Amino acid sequence: MELKMKMPLPHGGRLVDRVVTNPRAGKKMAATADAVYDIKPTLYNGMPVRNVYREIMSICYGFFSPCEGSMTKAELERILKERRLLSNWVFPYPMLFDISPEDLKKLKVQEGDRLLLRLKGQPFAVLDIEEIYEIDAKDLATRTFGTPQANPEVVKVAFDNKHPGYNIYSSYNRCILAGKYTIVNEPKMRSPFDRFWYPPAKARAEFQKRGWNTVIAHQTRNVPHVGHEALMRNAAYIGDIKPCDGIIVNAIVGAKRIGDYPDETIVEAHEMVNIAGYVKPSRHLVTILLWDMRYGNPLESLLHAVARQNMGVSYHMWGRDHAALGPYYDTYAAQILWENGVPSFGFDKPPYAVDYGLLMRPQNMAEFWYCPKCTEVTYSENCNHDKERQRFSGSFIRSLLAEGVFPPAVIMRPEVYKTVVKWWKILGYPFNNKKYLAERENELEIDLADMKL
Amino acid sequence: MNYLAVLLDAKRLADIKGTALEKKVTDMFGGAIKALIMEMPEEQTKKVLSAFPAARLDARFFLEEVPIAVKRAIFEEIKRSKSIEPKVIDAVMAKADQLKDAVAKESEYLPVPEID
Repeated sequence: MELKMKMPLPHGGRLVDRVVTNPRAGKKMAATADAVYDIKPTLYNGMPVRNVYREIMSICYGFFSPCEGSMTKAELERILKERRLLSNWVFPYPMLFDISPEDLKKLKVQEGDRLLLRLKGQPFAVLDIEEIYEIDAKDLATRTFGTPQANPEVVKVAFDNKHPGYNIYSSYNRCILAGKYTIVNEPKMRSPFDRFWYPPAKARAEFQKRGWNTVIAHQTRNVPHVGHEALMRNAAYIGDIKPCDGIIVNAIVGAKRIGDYPDETIVEAHEMVNIAGYVKPSRHLVTILLWDMRYGNPLESLLHAVARQNMGVSYHMWGRDHAALGPYYDTYAAQILWENGVPSFGFDKPPYAVDYGLLMRPQNMAEFWYCPKCTEVTYSENCNHDKERQRFSGSFIRSLLAEGVFPPAVIMRPEVYKTVVKWWKILGYPFNNKKYLAERENELEIDLADMKL
Repeated sequence: MNYLAVLLDAKRLADIKGTALEKKVTDMFGGAIKALIMEMPEEQTKKVLSAFPAARLDARFFLEEVPIAVKRAIFEEIKRSKSIEPKVIDAVMAKADQLKDAVAKESEYLPVPEID
């Protein structure tokens, strides 16, 4: 009987690596392009809600292995029907390079052509076009997330334009260019994101260097409160013959909603948990994933599992309302998927039990709350003090901050709060305000070297 | 039923000292935070959410991220009427138009808290 665990293989068996790191080779490849296109953000009501560059980064650096590019029509259909790539591997979302009919006409490209994609005025990547086809964006949005009729196990309310993920897909341009991406101009990650940038190959090397065999992932889009910290620490007691060697926080960096915390604040606030010693830095690592959140609860959990298994993570904690927003999915949809499967999404068994599934072990967690009678932050399945217990709420904490109340240490660590205030001074209020979002869309998270062709 | 927590700092606690409101103060998080918890019927919640789009109902069924100017007006009305009944919110909502400028300014800027 083997009880000790090893780092899981990448999803699909090998890590995708589509980044040309030799500038001369990259330039040579870029020079062979048949046309040039400047990447544009996807807009909803005039505000950027997605930038395909983040998908290109996550694909080419291997986070989304074995996906290698923008999907063909046949692959898109398989994703929407069965959440599988044409190679059979589980994959939750469409990955598409969309452009307007007017831009397509101007480009004059056809199947077999190579398109150079420019970002911030510089060559960034190439797309080798295999197929050009059209989509109906509303239909894409509806089928991506599911409907109460087609997916009654988890979809409770029909998706509409109050859901930011629905708005992303329904704002796609009509024309899709399918094909593999290759980054030809290796980007430099901007500060402060540079120190949290651990693409799968680098993450795996880092885990090995630290002697981590078992690693648990914590998904975040928030500044950590003490409840998050308790969740991380306690979930990490799972492991093989001892608790997990490492805890990684993997923060989603991308377009966000006005009022959410800025990404800079989120990553540094999580880092502060280990700098201030609440979890030893030797056991805790903050990392990022470039992705514009779709808030797709069970489907988003699959994407998180793909990215984090590729990083070498063995366990993932799933909580209530995982990556969710609004009443659309069942509160426990992600946990239902990882406990029983969701047949209408192509999972008659959980994603770790199906063929070509994930090697990630789920850790379905209930809630942590503060109980004055227990005098601690405690697990909801332990504490029976229903009248006394106090649930954590990110919105409540944001209200405290807005009212100028220094949050008590039972809610938020003082060092974490000071990090929030540091970025408040720099970026202003409300968090993720219009000015910040517009500037961020111009700067993005990367810089590109000047590449003259 | 939904709820709204009106936070009480030292000044607000002093303002309600000796009134019947004092007995209604709730300890949150083991007494680290003190608040008056108001019950909010569904219709009233909807009215506030629609008037102030930044406000959200959280998983505890508490109305949060209500503009500070509105929270201030609610506390002043509590102090005046010595009540935390739903009529307090009705009174504040009746003069919501007067708060619009303050709420608009708040959506552009809030001073950074002074900390060491």
